[in-house]
Amino acid sequence: MALLEINDLKVEFGTRYGPVTALDGVSLEVEAGETLGVVGESGCGKSITALSVMGLIPSPPGKIAGGSIKLGGEELIGLPDKRLRQLRGSDMAMIFQEPMTSLNPVFTAGDQIAEAIMLHQDVGKAEAFNRAVELLDRVGIPEARRRASDYPHQLSGGMRQRVMIAMAVSCQPKVLIADEPTTALDVTVQAQIFDLLNDIQRDFGTAIIMITHDMGAIAEMADRVAVMYAGKVIEQGVADDILDNPKHPYAQGLIACIPALGKGDAGRPPPLAEIPGVVPPLHLLGEGCAFADRCAHKYDACAKAPVLGGDTAHPVACHASAEARI
Amino acid sequence: MSVILEAKDLTVRFPMPRKSLFAERQHLEAVRSISFQLEKGRTLGIVGESGSGKTTAAMASIRLTGPATGAVEFEGEDLFTLDDEAMRKRRADIQLIFQDPYSSLNPRDRVSHIVQEPLDLLEIGDEASRKARVEELFKLVGLRPDQLNLFPHQFSGGQRQRISIARALATNPKLIVCDEPVSALDVAIQAQILNLLAKLQEELGLSYLFISHDLGVIRQVCDDIAVMYLGRIVEQASRDELFTNPRHPYTQALLAAAPSLARRKSSGAKRPQQLKGDPPSPINPPPGCAFAERCPLAEAVCKQMPPPLENGVACHVANR
Amino acid sequence: MSDSATTTTAEAQSPLREAWIMFRRNKPALVGMAILSLIILATLYGAFIFTGDAYDIVWAPHEPPLVTPEFPLGTDYLGRDLVAGLLTGGAPTLAVGAAAAAITMVIGVAVGALAGFFGGWVDNALMRFTEFFQVLPALLFAMVLVTLFTPSLTMIAIAIGVVSWPQTARLTRAEFMKIKNLEYVTAARAIGAKNGRIMWRVILPNALPPLIVSATLTVGVAILFEAGLSFLGLGDPNTMSWGLMIGSNRADFLEAWWPVTFPGVMIFLTVFAVSLIGDGLNDAFNPKLRER
Repeated sequence: MALLEINDLKVEFGTRYGPVTALDGVSLEVEAGETLGVVGESGCGKSITALSVMGLIPSPPGKIAGGSIKLGGEELIGLPDKRLRQLRGSDMAMIFQEPMTSLNPVFTAGDQIAEAIMLHQDVGKAEAFNRAVELLDRVGIPEARRRASDYPHQLSGGMRQRVMIAMAVSCQPKVLIADEPTTALDVTVQAQIFDLLNDIQRDFGTAIIMITHDMGAIAEMADRVAVMYAGKVIEQGVADDILDNPKHPYAQGLIACIPALGKGDAGRPPPLAEIPGVVPPLHLLGEGCAFADRCAHKYDACAKAPVLGGDTAHPVACHASAEARI
Repeated sequence: MSVILEAKDLTVRFPMPRKSLFAERQHLEAVRSISFQLEKGRTLGIVGESGSGKTTAAMASIRLTGPATGAVEFEGEDLFTLDDEAMRKRRADIQLIFQDPYSSLNPRDRVSHIVQEPLDLLEIGDEASRKARVEELFKLVGLRPDQLNLFPHQFSGGQRQRISIARALATNPKLIVCDEPVSALDVAIQAQILNLLAKLQEELGLSYLFISHDLGVIRQVCDDIAVMYLGRIVEQASRDELFTNPRHPYTQALLAAAPSLARRKSSGAKRPQQLKGDPPSPINPPPGCAFAERCPLAEAVCKQMPPPLENGVACHVANR
Repeated sequence: MSDSATTTTAEAQSPLREAWIMFRRNKPALVGMAILSLIILATLYGAFIFTGDAYDIVWAPHEPPLVTPEFPLGTDYLGRDLVAGLLTGGAPTLAVGAAAAAITMVIGVAVGALAGFFGGWVDNALMRFTEFFQVLPALLFAMVLVTLFTPSLTMIAIAIGVVSWPQTARLTRAEFMKIKNLEYVTAARAIGAKNGRIMWRVILPNALPPLIVSATLTVGVAILFEAGLSFLGLGDPNTMSWGLMIGSNRADFLEAWWPVTFPGVMIFLTVFAVSLIGDGLNDAFNPKLRER
């Protein structure tokens, strides 16, 4: 049994167009010590999946309409708030995209981490603060003791994200969810954060769910990958398989549209591969494959929604791929 | 080939609020004496991280930011010496695309009006021809005419960026400054916009000054590249040169840090070079090379003397 | 979802008509509109139905309401008909409120916009000027103005306007300072828009929501202010207004509650209705709320 098991998860949101299905039968697994990359454009349901696990779906308008989420065998759906609060921070933790707004501006970095420690462990204030300093040092903040008494606005974006990571790992969670953790950061800082997350995983055996729209980040971080589109997992497998041999036209597009960084050769690079159009709004999803309107391989079978299937190690939800038309 | 935009010794200093009544006023030197040339029909990329001054440099070079010194020549005419009215007229030739497709469009205006506004302001054509032009622009950037009467919030990020591009194209400009035009977009949408910009450049003979922090994007669209660090250009080269043979240690580090499909977790690939820390503060920058503190090659001289830009690179070690 | 309307087509309609369609969907605003319309209609035409003269002494003083059929709301301390008083006093009260709010908005928005937009020494100078008016005790200053000049309704409206604009100016300044740094303002500059256009066509419409709310509040405050001045005996004694009614009957409140309470209820209803309408206007002019 995997550490975290999401099975056939359905999440609905009430909108002005009536209820829409934001997640439609999502199943994922993460083992201890491994990183699952969840990739897709905005609006694909990546973040909703993460929030469901944390029990943080805003309700209303959202509600979990079915399925199960098990962490270490314990069913999370329907768990009383008190138990969920215990689990959040101690067994599972999350870091967000925007480190500026996810720290409280009126408390120092050290105090905020100490607070997180005291919530879950029976330690005094001084002890918690000392541990906060250790953690800051662990996440690579120089002069940790002095920095611990800095307020968030005195820290750079990269440092703030390190503080967030320190807070998230303060109770050595089993699962760490990173929702686009480096989108707001510079590339050199992004590289530092990636390395830090990989180090933490190696030292503590943390399972990481890495949410991103960037296949480059997936390559560096993920052991396994789930590609999401319009609330469904449409392809899943070992990272190398997905990156080298993507089966779904959407996954192929996501990889092909990245501007390459190779050597400069004479002349301008050819135009990038494009995925035309945009992710359809959820209330306009019909019966067929949600990607069909943007897909170059669309044919009559696509009028029916494909199901995730085929090779158990590398399943894909695509008629064209299943019938070897790609 | 003729030069369309040339910056000479461009410097931008912002005065900081005094700490006390008697304290000396401090200045933030966002851009420190940079020079560059953009040739007609080509794309000059300025790449750097946040705080490098790349956006300020671009804005200053089209006179859209505070107290700049030096000179900027657009088609041989010094923009800094024009009076306000002449500069206003000149804006028809110089347009701008912003980073954030959410804050760059007035939320209270219909998109048709947003695209038509430059024509109204610069009094180009009559009402009917302006309307026709707006429809033509919509088609050009890949939007539908039935979307003309919508408001910005009814569009996705990529579509908003198309509207922004249509607005920039309205007056038939010669130069477009693109300030991180794709960094707020998903990768799939980013490719659409980059291809659109390339297509428009080819069809309309545009010149781009292209600001980005993403080397992959820069390589895709730029012919010439300037790398900025803390207000200075540290390396300047053609695309082929820069990506084949990066000479400044900062350029090398940027290239090493950029995420790449080839660097896999499964193969345990490590970055060849890892930068530590953050850039120094642009208020009271260090006397020597600004990169010296993070530089793996730094020597004693680097901390004392700022390296001059020679042979396209500003580095004591690389120029030896 | 942000993409929701990308596949729909909006018909072109005049902005005012569209705003009205939006306004109609806001139920509380419609209720406010109905209340205010009734009040205005009553104050304009009510005198044709109840033909009594508000200034005439027609009955014994302090006749309670619902006792004598001719005077359903009773009479005041002089024996004047309260129904006639409320109907006659409404128009001046509303006029004072509206005029004071208009004065407040014009001065406040102009000063705040200039200060926020230009910053630097313009801002410094204008804000010191604003602070000067802000530290004046409003009521005292209005009292001085009214006693120096004849206590006419016009004077009262001006006095209220002059002491209330600094708040609006500060609010406008803050909004302008925030919005002037957004990219669409730079975008307007980049296409050659002049300062005046940027201030009034680009920034002001986006700064309006809090200003509209504050304007409706000012109407309410002004009506109450007028009541306050009248309460202190500084109202215009020759013009019937709700404030004057409260002011002149205040001494006898313990014996007769009705001559004070009915005008008070009218003032409350008016202020309430205006603020509901303000809320509705705010929504009506905000395109983001449009396709609900």
